[in-house]
Amino acid sequence: MSHTKELTKGIFRENPVFIIMLGMCPTLGVTTQVFNAIGMGAGVIFVLLCSNILISLLRKVIPDSIRIPAYIVIIASFVTIVEMVMHAYVPAVYSALGVYLPLIVVNCIILGRAEAFANKNTVLDSALDAIGMGIGFTLSLCLIAAIREILGAGQITLINLSESARVIITLPGLSSSPIRVMTLAAGALLVMGYLKAFFNWMGDRKAGRA
Amino acid sequence: MKQYLKIASVLFCICAVAAGLLAGINAITAPQIAANALKETSAALMDISGGFDLGEKREGNGAGINYSITLVEGKEIKGYVLEITSNGYGGPITLVASYDTDGAVIGAKMMANSETPGLGKKSEESWYMAQFEGLGGAKPLPSSKNDLADPSLVSGATVTFTGVSGAIRQGSEYVKGLGGK
Repeated sequence: MSHTKELTKGIFRENPVFIIMLGMCPTLGVTTQVFNAIGMGAGVIFVLLCSNILISLLRKVIPDSIRIPAYIVIIASFVTIVEMVMHAYVPAVYSALGVYLPLIVVNCIILGRAEAFANKNTVLDSALDAIGMGIGFTLSLCLIAAIREILGAGQITLINLSESARVIITLPGLSSSPIRVMTLAAGALLVMGYLKAFFNWMGDRKAGRA
Repeated sequence: MKQYLKIASVLFCICAVAAGLLAGINAITAPQIAANALKETSAALMDISGGFDLGEKREGNGAGINYSITLVEGKEIKGYVLEITSNGYGGPITLVASYDTDGAVIGAKMMANSETPGLGKKSEESWYMAQFEGLGGAKPLPSSKNDLADPSLVSGATVTFTGVSGAIRQGSEYVKGLGGK
């Protein structure tokens, strides 16, 4: 497989959210606002990139029988580093992400890519895989968040660092009588279900033509 | 046996490197985090002081009220700022609230919390706490979201609202108990 393919496969063909169905918990949890999706995506890209590179480097050093604890220690360390650095230097983003930041540790995408890809492939391919998967994850989150926020609140929150630093696009009509359920947990599952159905339909159509 | 020792030592090395790295980064970021928290608290206290000066700091009651600071004008006590801990949806929440001596809310601000972004996190915004301003003295504080002018503003985050309004009511009672002293 070419290097470009490693990069682009995460965006559609092996999209982590809609095709591989990994990392559902943060996907459903943070997608109340587009800004949260972007923040979560940035955190995941960073952690995934660092952990994939390091695990790929150490793939010959780590014995097979203890690979899972070793990966978890590496991933948890990177997440904790991100958390501490964000808390110290960008407290607004830190408080916006709240509990979802430490939850990156248990995001199945990261352990999943370590297990399924980084421990079998070269450092370059692992890094490309991480970037592609991370971008695919971020785009998927943004898509779900945009649908939920537009329908559920009638707005799109692009930047929401503090009350003085925010960019919110308000849509007339919907913002005065939004479909409130879309911002709640049930709305997340509804949107996820429809999008999964759409992606399945796309996949079937492609397979039928080939 | 040798096999196990090798495995254990590899895992030990990974853990040791990780622990060392985290300790180093913690040493760098911890002072900055503490400074941020202090700055945030003092800014919040100034924000809700209602134009009065901050007076002496007193211990709280150990059951929700962490501490109180008197609000003074000259020598006269005009009110109190309280730091109150309560329970939200995502665990404990801390907020600061200022009161007149009769228990009416001057202002309030959400501090540390783990509420859900987009739902309970809204309690950090100024309009959220503005719903309580002026209440607690002659007019009662809301005891549930149905007492609000527009309950839909807090819908989806009822647990957060119950935590916040409970804390503010508790503070109001506490201030009334102080009797202006």
